[in-house]
Amino acid sequence: MLSRVVLSAAATAAPSLKNAAFLGPGSFFNHTGLGVPLKTTKRIRASICTIITCRVLQATRTFRTGQPHLAPIPPLPEYGGKVRYGLIPEEFFQFLYPKTGVTGPYVLGTGLILYALSKEIYVITAETFTAMTLIGIMVYGIKKYGPSVAAYADKINEQKLAQLEEAKQSSIQQMQNAIDMEKSQQALTQKRHYLFDVQRNNIAMALEVTYRERLYRVYKEVKSRLDYHIAVQNMTRRKEQEHMINWVEKHVVQSISAEQEKETVAKCIADLKLLAKKAQAPLVM
Amino acid sequence: MNENLFTPFSTPTILNQPATIPIILFPAMLVLTSKHPINNRLATTQQNLTQLILKQMMTTHNAKGQTWSLMLMSLITFIAMTNLLGLLPYSFTPTTQLSMNLAMAIPLWTGTVMVGLRFKTKNFLAHLLPQGTPTPLIPMLVVIETISLLIQPVALAVRLTANITAGHLLMHLIGNAALALSTTNLSLTLLTSTLLALLTVLEIAVALIQAYVFTLLVSLYLHNNT
Repeated sequence: MLSRVVLSAAATAAPSLKNAAFLGPGSFFNHTGLGVPLKTTKRIRASICTIITCRVLQATRTFRTGQPHLAPIPPLPEYGGKVRYGLIPEEFFQFLYPKTGVTGPYVLGTGLILYALSKEIYVITAETFTAMTLIGIMVYGIKKYGPSVAAYADKINEQKLAQLEEAKQSSIQQMQNAIDMEKSQQALTQKRHYLFDVQRNNIAMALEVTYRERLYRVYKEVKSRLDYHIAVQNMTRRKEQEHMINWVEKHVVQSISAEQEKETVAKCIADLKLLAKKAQAPLVM
Repeated sequence: MNENLFTPFSTPTILNQPATIPIILFPAMLVLTSKHPINNRLATTQQNLTQLILKQMMTTHNAKGQTWSLMLMSLITFIAMTNLLGLLPYSFTPTTQLSMNLAMAIPLWTGTVMVGLRFKTKNFLAHLLPQGTPTPLIPMLVVIETISLLIQPVALAVRLTANITAGHLLMHLIGNAALALSTTNLSLTLLTSTLLALLTVLEIAVALIQAYVFTLLVSLYLHNNT
C-alpha cells in the first residue's frame, strides 16, 4: 500500500520518472535506458507513468497470491467502534451491565490492578515513571490537538468528495447544455420562414432601388440632351440678333452724310439757344 | 524486570526464543493498507503525511534520483515508527543496535556511490577535490576528502544509534532517580517527573528528527551522485 501511495504521489509530484525501480533503487542493475528528457509534454509523461506502473505491477505479481474478490465487497464502516478511555470497547461494559450494573467493570479493573501490584506481578520500576509520563503526554496531546487533526482529515476527505462530485456535476451540466442547445436548434428550424421572408423583402427592395436609380439616370441623360438642343437654339437666335443689330447700326451710320450732320448740329445749337432764352426769361420775372 | 541499565538494549526474547525479527517487522502492521480512495481519519492523515514528506523530499531530485522514492519513503517511515514505538515502556527499539543501523546505512550509501561512479564518474571523482585549493595541498586534500567520503556510512549508523540509545538511557536514569526519590522526598519526585516529561517530549522530537536526518542525508548523497 505504501508503494501504491508512493507511486501515485510520485506520479503526480514527480513528472517524469525514468526507471521506477521494480523493488527499490535497482536502476544500477536494471538500467533499461528509457531515456526521456525532462522537457516532455504532460501526456507523454502520463503515459510513461502508466507504463512504469504497469511494469511494477507485473513485476510484483508473484507477491499478490490472494484470490481476487469476485463479488462486490461491503463498504467500510464510517466510524470505528466506540471505546471508553481509549482502550476498552463499549461492548465490554454492556456485557457486564446485566450482572454487575454500571460500576462492575470499574471494580473489576481496580481489583485487577491492585492484585497485580500487591502480588508484584507488575513491579514498579523506573519504567513505571516513564510510562506514566508518556501516557500523560499522549493524553494531553490527543486532547489538545485531536479535534483539529480530525477536522483536517475530514477536510481532506471533503475536498476529495467535492472534486468527484464536481466532476460528476460538470459532466451532467455539459449534457444538459448539449440537450438545451439541441432543443433550441430544433426550435429554430421552425422559425426559418421569417428569415426567408426578410431575405425576399430585401431582394425586392434592392430591385426597386436599382430600377429607380436607372430611371433617374435615363431622365438625366434625356434632359441633358434636350438642354443641349435648347442651348444650341438660344445661341443661334442670339447670334442672329447680334448680327442684325450690327448690320442695322452699320448701315444707319453709313447713311448719315456729312451735310446732314452739320445741319443737325446747327439745329441743336439753335434749339439750345432758344431753351436758354426761355430759361432766362422766367428767372427775370 | 530491568535489573541493570543494559537490559532494555539486549535481544528481546519470548519464552527464551529470540523475538527480534517480529519486533522489527511490527511497525509494518501499523501502516495504512486501504485501497479505497476515501478512508477514515487515521488513514487519511497517514496518507496525507506520506504525500507531504514525499513531495518535500523528492522534488529536488531529477528523474534518476526519483526512482529511489519508494526506498527513501519506506526508510523514513520505518525509522520514525520504530523510534516512536521504542518510547513505549518495556519495548525494544531495533534502531538502538548498531548492527541494524549499519545494515541500513552501508548498503544505501554504497548504492549512491555506485550510482555516482557508474553514471557520472568524472563528476564523482571531481568532487574529491574542492574548488580553489592551492596546488601543493592537492594530494593531502584528496586523501582527506576520500576519508570523509568513506566515513559517511559509519557516521549515519553511529549517529542514529547514539542518539536513540542516549535518549533511552537518559529516560531510564531519570526514571530510576524519580523512583528512588519517591520513597524519601516527594517534591523532588515531582520535579524529576517534570524533567522526565520534558525529556519525553524531546525524545519524541528526536525520534522523528533522526529518522528525517537519516533519510535526508541518504537523499543528499543520492542527489550528489545522480
